[in-house]
Amino acid sequence: MTDTVLEVRNLKVAFPAPGGVIRAVEGIDLTTSKGECVALVGESGCGKSVTALSIMKLLRTPPSVSRIDKLQLDGRDLTGLTERDMEHVRGKDMAMIFQDAMTALNPVMTVGKQIDEVYRRHVKLGRKEARKRSVRALELVGVPEARSRADSYPHELSGGMRQRVLIALAFACMPKLIIADEPTTSLDVTIQAQVLDVLRSMQKDHDVSALLITHDLSVVANMADTVYVMYSGKIVERAAALELFTAPRHPYTQGLLASVPKLSDDKQAFVQIPDTVPHPMHKPEGCYFHPRCSHTTDRCRQHMPRLETLEKDRQIRCWHPLHQERAT
Amino acid sequence: MTATRDGLLSDSLLEMDGVSVDFPVKRAYPFSKKRWIQAVTDVSLRISQGETFGIVGESGCGKSTLANAMIGMVRPTGGTVCFQGDDLYALKAKAFKESRRDMQMIFQDPFSSLNPRFTVYDIIREPLYIRGGATEAEMKAKVLELLRLVGLDEEDLHRNPSDFSGGQRQRIGIARAIILNPKFLVCDEPVSGLDVSVHAQIMNLLMEIQKTRNLTYVFISHNLAVVKNVCQNVLVMYLGKVMEAGASDALFANPQHPYTKALLSAVLDVTVQGAHDRVLLKGDTPSPIDPPKGCRFWQRCPFAMEGCETIPAELTEVEHGHHVACHLVSGFTPEQKTAGLDRPVAQQPMDEATSIAA
Repeated sequence: MTDTVLEVRNLKVAFPAPGGVIRAVEGIDLTTSKGECVALVGESGCGKSVTALSIMKLLRTPPSVSRIDKLQLDGRDLTGLTERDMEHVRGKDMAMIFQDAMTALNPVMTVGKQIDEVYRRHVKLGRKEARKRSVRALELVGVPEARSRADSYPHELSGGMRQRVLIALAFACMPKLIIADEPTTSLDVTIQAQVLDVLRSMQKDHDVSALLITHDLSVVANMADTVYVMYSGKIVERAAALELFTAPRHPYTQGLLASVPKLSDDKQAFVQIPDTVPHPMHKPEGCYFHPRCSHTTDRCRQHMPRLETLEKDRQIRCWHPLHQERAT
Repeated sequence: MTATRDGLLSDSLLEMDGVSVDFPVKRAYPFSKKRWIQAVTDVSLRISQGETFGIVGESGCGKSTLANAMIGMVRPTGGTVCFQGDDLYALKAKAFKESRRDMQMIFQDPFSSLNPRFTVYDIIREPLYIRGGATEAEMKAKVLELLRLVGLDEEDLHRNPSDFSGGQRQRIGIARAIILNPKFLVCDEPVSGLDVSVHAQIMNLLMEIQKTRNLTYVFISHNLAVVKNVCQNVLVMYLGKVMEAGASDALFANPQHPYTKALLSAVLDVTVQGAHDRVLLKGDTPSPIDPPKGCRFWQRCPFAMEGCETIPAELTEVEHGHHVACHLVSGFTPEQKTAGLDRPVAQQPMDEATSIAA
């Protein structure tokens, strides 16, 4: 997995706000390879969705102010592209799956028609040919009776079906990169399992690179190959999924992992991270995590650590990385 | 039953007996057939003093309606709800109000459950104010005490909910729920709208409050891992009916109903392992309007038999206190067997679509 699909270097996004500036994303590097699923994990407000939108160039400027050193999709530089050029890239070379299918789909248009649109616009197919492809796309994601379902409106479908339609839409042109922003958060557990299954098999079968944005570590564990953990606009840890879950090196990652209740647990008290995420306008001095961290020293209070590369594919932003002792 | 209530079952705080809640569906035409959403059908349960009782199920399974029926917010269309030995819905208005004081609720969404135009003080004080009989100074002292208990500061008192994060708002909601010293607290998905790192904080706070104030909790969740960790007894619901009920330990160690098994295997654990060993359910939850006649789960059940469609599965005790409503457990009568009711159901059309995808 060496061929890079997406390369992001030093992405910064800020929003002017009354009384200051909200620095949502503070210099992020991201790389995804062909067929790889990369997860961006973090809590609400850490800047993960803003990152996704910036990659799609869907953030309005103004109000947002962004800077990026490099944004390459499959070797093609996207930084200088105009909005009109981007329209040819979005949906064709990269596509996004949104969290809330009800608002992402057009409520007054049948789902078939919405998928047709992708084919008619990007592949320049005729009406009939486009519909044929749409029905196939729906079948691919496991929508039963796809032919008749294509004539349904979004409100006539269940949540799981709508999410499948969104996946079909995103994969319609077999883009090189799929960005899935919390694809299963609004779904029930059994439906979530179905949808994740579809998403994973689509991504792996067609060797598409995926950027999965989520706060749910269990989804990450089941989907991702590589994980980036974000905190307050910065990447704090990057690792292969297996390594991250077996031996987290950043105290925040460790705390997050420990705070997820597991079925195998028996204890009554939940492991908690004290305090809450800092306000984006009043981030603390030094390491952003230090007020909540149990390993804090003076150094943490004064200086922000750099994102150091420990070994291949393993990066961490911490003055006192945890030792790799836990091996479960 | 009445004789034993004071003796044998003295520790039970709330009992439900055959509770059903139906909501009428608005008619499409003036003379069309009247239809009902059967939100909860024939649920019986007993919640003891001081325990945490879990209700698990997917959205639309009736768990919130059931909780509302427990605390007197929705009048059941059938069955009785007894709180501290009194039939809640047979009480006179005044006594009903007094019973209601002992039961409070924590809501799922900390954004819509707090009045945005109220200050924190107003919100937490509101129940005391409505009850009456306390001076302003007393109320203020009480509000401050609770504010500290849930981990907020005195200076937060005159802020609006919009100044707080989700976790802090949930703390305000908790303070409001316990200010009248209730005995019974319904937590309707109290953490599902919150961030992962805050989940544990709120859960620990709830558990601590329960311990110090000797509260009885009903904990509604779709997160089985949380339920397993905090609840002593669990009720698994599907489409308004109880599928499986029992002590948490027994139920999680030995799940019997296919739906419980599917729910358990749908829980993604934070360990890196593929999805290969998971049981995936087909299809979606059907509409609770005119639900299936037989077992409500049969359409999605991987082990469905011919008889499941027409014959409802009764709750059967599999081990002490562990009840399951499934024909796989209770079996069919010999006559039904000769009629071929225990044959597995032929493949459903749903499979064709999935096999194309595969």
